[in-house]
Amino acid sequence: MKRKDLILHLIGEISNFLLESDPRRLVISLHQEENGLHLCVLDENPHTDEEIKKIDLALNSRKRPELAGYYGSMTGHDMLGASRLNLLGWQVKHCDVSSIGSGIKIDIWLGGEHFQNDQFTIPKKDTE
Amino acid sequence: MSSFIITGIVADGAGRAFSGFLDLQFRPARLISDYIYERGIGASLINAAAVGITGLILILIAKVQLSGATFAALFTMMGFALFGKTPVNILPIIFGVYLAGKLVGKTFSEYLIIALFGTALGPLVSMVTVELGLTGLSAVAVGTCAGIATGFILPAIAVSVLHFHQGYSLYNLGLSCGFFALFAAALFRAGGYTFEGLMLWHTGNSAILIFMVPLLSVILILTGLFSGGKKGLRDLAAIQKHTGRLPSDFMDLESMEGALINSGLIGLIGSAYILLIGGDFNGPTIGGLLTIMGFGAFGTHLKNSWPVVIGVIAASLVFGKSLTAPGVLLAVIFCTTLAPLAGAFGIFTGLIAGFIHLVLVHQTGSWQGGMNLYNNGFAGGLTATLIVSVIAWYRSRNSDFK
Repeated sequence: MKRKDLILHLIGEISNFLLESDPRRLVISLHQEENGLHLCVLDENPHTDEEIKKIDLALNSRKRPELAGYYGSMTGHDMLGASRLNLLGWQVKHCDVSSIGSGIKIDIWLGGEHFQNDQFTIPKKDTE
Repeated sequence: MSSFIITGIVADGAGRAFSGFLDLQFRPARLISDYIYERGIGASLINAAAVGITGLILILIAKVQLSGATFAALFTMMGFALFGKTPVNILPIIFGVYLAGKLVGKTFSEYLIIALFGTALGPLVSMVTVELGLTGLSAVAVGTCAGIATGFILPAIAVSVLHFHQGYSLYNLGLSCGFFALFAAALFRAGGYTFEGLMLWHTGNSAILIFMVPLLSVILILTGLFSGGKKGLRDLAAIQKHTGRLPSDFMDLESMEGALINSGLIGLIGSAYILLIGGDFNGPTIGGLLTIMGFGAFGTHLKNSWPVVIGVIAASLVFGKSLTAPGVLLAVIFCTTLAPLAGAFGIFTGLIAGFIHLVLVHQTGSWQGGMNLYNNGFAGGLTATLIVSVIAWYRSRNSDFK
């Protein structure tokens, strides 16, 4: 898949998830390097700790190449029904979910085999 | 798998079972070719075990953990090996999927699910090998090439048709294989080949056939209960709350224990239904039960299934079809491919989906020449596409800006 398409689908799925709670503001920030990217999404809706934990669990689920390579093609594409963060979680290098007072901040790092941690702010010990 | 082999040997004796198993490798396999009718219980069970072992080896080679998806794939492969799949007719397709992955830089693990479920087109390989009038090694070579070519194109179709129904039909490879088989059947017909309908259907229930699935179901339930205790039951209740939309891996989303209990319950209720209406326990129906049990870990549960099943039964009564007729019986079992529609959009949508499914599934088999074993998956995928299209269209009405 072309990088542009992949980014579009990632943004589509994560925005679909956050827009379900109808935030007044949604901020999407993208940082690209040759071998990876960092996507940061912020909203300003209140989220409970339990909700944040669920999001974190879905985005940081164990890697499932057998599902990512096939069903992952639905990421940000087939959006009739609830959003599915696990589709994203299977494909990314690392995710951080944190509360930022008035809302939530989701950091997603994605990259190829030559992904270099030091080009991003990703915690080194958590990457694959 | 070992219990299948032991039961097969006990049922028919080792000699008859293994010679029957070898015969099955080069027999026509199009729908409906009940291997129990053709070569007996022993040969069929050994064939199912051999296909299951093939699937398991592939999962190990791909270094993929057993999960809801692979559990469903293994049960489906073994189930359909009672009426159409053999190690000989599935291997070329799997190799074709592997080659397709190589071409686009995907690892085999990424296409594993497509390779396992894509074996639904095994009968196409058998047909080219034994039904087109070719003989000897040339027949095997042409059949193998046809299988490799089929497998090679399957990933492209499987990923594309997923978007048709957006994950609301569980047997997506059924739609993919059916779509491909339409073209293949047209090609054969253009070449002058006439598809003769097959209806090899075992009747006369034996104790082994009747109790096989219930026994397996009880084992799954007890395994779930003993290893998970109350947690298994809690997770079973939690599973009932999922829509089941692809990909819903209940082993991941809840727990293995909950998924095993769910699968066992589905197997028990499915068997009870067949007993209740006086249906036949044979290759296709046992294969169907094994399939829905497998999907009990990957999208199907009691709450999202019953509306679709009632829809199929209602349609059969409206159109005066017998509930024990092969087509209706299989549709009642396999219509659970549409369970996510009921899970996501409610009981009424499920009922409508089941009703349409029965009407369509009686046509799709002849369209594709019976070469796609997942004929209900094909009809279910088309039905889900229709319903999803209507829902998506309706939701596209004016936005809610003031």
